[in-house]
Amino acid sequence: MKKKMVSMLLCTGMVLSMLAGCSQAAKLSTVMAAGKETSSSTEELAEGNYKIGIAQFAQHGSLDNCREGFLQGLEEEGFVEGENLEIDYQNSDADMGTAGTIAQGFAAKGVDLMCGIATPAAQACYNAALKTEIPTIYTAVTDPVAAELATEDQMPTGNATGTSDKLPVEAQLKMIRELLPEAKTIGIIYTTSEVNSESTIKEYEALVGEYGFALETVGIATIADVPSAADTILEKVDCLNNLTDNTVVSALPTILDKANKKGIPVFGSEVEQVKIGCLASEGIDYIALGKQTGKMAAQVLKGEMKAEEMPFESITESNLYLNTKVAENLGISVSDEVKDRAAETFTEIEE
Amino acid sequence: MLELRNINKYYNPGTINEMCLFDNFNFKVDTGDFVSVVGSNGSGKTSMLNIICGSIDVDSGSINIDGKDITREKEYQRHTYIGRVYQNPAMGTCPDMTILENMSLADNKGKKYNLRAGVNKKRIDFYRSNLRQLNLGLEDKLHIKVGSLSGGQRQAMALLMSTMTPIDFLILDEHTAALDPKTAEIIMELTDKIVSEKKLTTIMVTHNLRYAVEYGNRLVMMHQGKVILDRNGSQKDNMEVDEILERFNEISIECGN
Amino acid sequence: MSIIIGVLEQGMIYAMMALGIYITYKILDFPDLTVDGSFPLGAAVTAALMVKGMNPYLTLPISFAAGAAAGILTGIIHVKFKVRDLLSGIIMMTALYTINLKIAGKANVPLFSLENIFDNKVLDSIVPEAAAPYQTLVMILIILLIVKLLLDGFLRTRSGFLLRAAGDNPVLVTSLAKDSGKVKILGLAIANGLVALSGCVFAQWQRVFDISVGTGTMVIGLASVIIGVNLCRFLPRVKDTFAVLIGSVIYRACVAAALQLGLQANDMKLITAALFFIILCISMDRKKKVKAHA
Repeated sequence: MKKKMVSMLLCTGMVLSMLAGCSQAAKLSTVMAAGKETSSSTEELAEGNYKIGIAQFAQHGSLDNCREGFLQGLEEEGFVEGENLEIDYQNSDADMGTAGTIAQGFAAKGVDLMCGIATPAAQACYNAALKTEIPTIYTAVTDPVAAELATEDQMPTGNATGTSDKLPVEAQLKMIRELLPEAKTIGIIYTTSEVNSESTIKEYEALVGEYGFALETVGIATIADVPSAADTILEKVDCLNNLTDNTVVSALPTILDKANKKGIPVFGSEVEQVKIGCLASEGIDYIALGKQTGKMAAQVLKGEMKAEEMPFESITESNLYLNTKVAENLGISVSDEVKDRAAETFTEIEE
Repeated sequence: MLELRNINKYYNPGTINEMCLFDNFNFKVDTGDFVSVVGSNGSGKTSMLNIICGSIDVDSGSINIDGKDITREKEYQRHTYIGRVYQNPAMGTCPDMTILENMSLADNKGKKYNLRAGVNKKRIDFYRSNLRQLNLGLEDKLHIKVGSLSGGQRQAMALLMSTMTPIDFLILDEHTAALDPKTAEIIMELTDKIVSEKKLTTIMVTHNLRYAVEYGNRLVMMHQGKVILDRNGSQKDNMEVDEILERFNEISIECGN
Repeated sequence: MSIIIGVLEQGMIYAMMALGIYITYKILDFPDLTVDGSFPLGAAVTAALMVKGMNPYLTLPISFAAGAAAGILTGIIHVKFKVRDLLSGIIMMTALYTINLKIAGKANVPLFSLENIFDNKVLDSIVPEAAAPYQTLVMILIILLIVKLLLDGFLRTRSGFLLRAAGDNPVLVTSLAKDSGKVKILGLAIANGLVALSGCVFAQWQRVFDISVGTGTMVIGLASVIIGVNLCRFLPRVKDTFAVLIGSVIYRACVAAALQLGLQANDMKLITAALFFIILCISMDRKKKVKAHA
């Protein structure tokens, strides 16, 4: 009996951490350089005192950056934490039940605004606020339409709006075409259970034709499938392209190793991937995304706009990250124009 | 009639620890017999009971009851006509359920365990009168959990429960061994009473030679998977405890103890 | 006030799941990890059916049936294929992860725009304006009471007696000429049915299905059962099933309180584990079960 209990607890724990790992909002598990910009000359403080509840779904580098940016955005608009703004930040540790409890708690406390970071947290906030007047501002929701937070025309379904961290697919395709004028087929490895990967794949399917590419995809279930999936797909493609797919990104070194042996370039979706050996990436800056969200929240708090009137926003600009060392290894010439455009260029491959 | 024919049973076959339990073992019990089985530890007494009840499978051979082969029947299926009382008083009752609930459980044996009420209120008087004959005062404690009763009280209940519904065979597996002498005496008398009242064919394994001699109409001694002594009727009536003890000593010497 | 309502709502939804775990853990003595999969299974089935336009009330029995099927499979893996109890649950839980994704279609299915058991035209027209804030709470309470009374009733039937006996002393079930394996399967079916039902109500309450919804179900349920049963042990004549409900609400209240106090959810798992351990140690001496054929 005792033994049974102990082993049961152990197993539960193991399983918990396992599930928590793969069910976080499909984001990169890498921490972005949290380059905290020195806030531009302090704006005038907004009148009154405000209380914001931030529900973050999971502990996560990109999500942390979103929160950071959110606070910066608010600050720029005159809402300063500790002065006229009280922040109640809670993390649900990838547990839907806790996310619900947190959001209900915000609603009960009567905060002035709720901020949900990542899809499940955004949904929990929205649900808790349904019968109240509290507006919800979300960020890092890849597809607000699929999450039923907005309709096709980008307008909110209720008193909730925010920003999407959708990948800049077009920019990425354009960049690939620039770097590889001869390439015909792009390959993508993705995890079938990650909802964001599937919707991004759809987007690629719709757009590759315009840039003269064909698309090859291969779905995997677990990280153990990555090596064989990579072997299969590398036979058929001229380059590989990564999404912000948790499982695939965790196995990126394996993929890079196999691709390098065949001399096939791999494109990333975020700066961290470029750092460790992807050729280039058109990625978004999560701090900037958070900042944009913070500004939206400020508009709502000031009463300039109502959340339900504001369409959700995506980040309009993407940044090019480039790794010249990788280009050199693969014998790819990068034009000066591209080099100049890069927001950040790496000359080495981080191990 | 119960018949074990050509039973072979090995433990860990094919390994260095291979141990022969029964080699071509044959045993017959006539209907209405009350057989006491004695023997040293490891002689195969309890294994024989387990084979009859289906708790362990045989390697080959057959088990027949009234000419019907039951070798392939599962343990729980055989218990339709077999009642068994174990050495451990806890095995025959449910500790977390009340006396009344335990009695009801036993009373429903052979019926469907469906969505009808677990306790049939009309039967409560019957349970009371059954419990009263134990003289343990259990009839006034119907709503007490069996887990809080003493070992003797539980064993008495186990005996009642296993014989409450009509069965053909009663298997007693050292059922007095875990009890103090006085309680053991009470249980043994109760056993005898129930067996004769219900005319049950009974096999009782015991280490108490006095009980073996005193009760039942047949005595069997086992050693190393074989029957080495089998006394019936008047032959048995004339037996003394000393005689069996002597036999015991003989086998012990054979074994080099 | 509304935070209390929130705690009660969530606590009572999880109470149904805790009742299921009470059956496996307390009655059958079977550490069943299937629940981590059958809770989201109920939610997935509900989401899939509601999106297809099914009446939300019908999803309740269907979810129960789906959960029961999962329980039966765990039981068969354990009883017929002789896989150890803990491992059978893990096998089933792992399989359910994929199955749930297939049923729901994707990892996150929002249900905001659909009518549910708490919010629909019929209900809104019946319930007076003043009672509206309690509408959800009362609905959950009604479902929970029905579930509890049915379970209490079942445990008093012959079949229920056999189930209790199977956990208490499987040898006795055999002695009663019944297959204790089948009884175990029945118990697992009912337990996982309840867990899936709880998942169904949860999905409608949260208005979203998410694949991560099952994470830690076992721990929450176990904590509820252990807290409830051990606290109510000191109260006379309190049924275990009621104690479990209390335990579930207390557990939710603790989570809410901890969050209010500024505790991080990530720390909470460790605190839960410690709490668990302490309660188990304190209550360890109370029961020595017969473990024949163990």
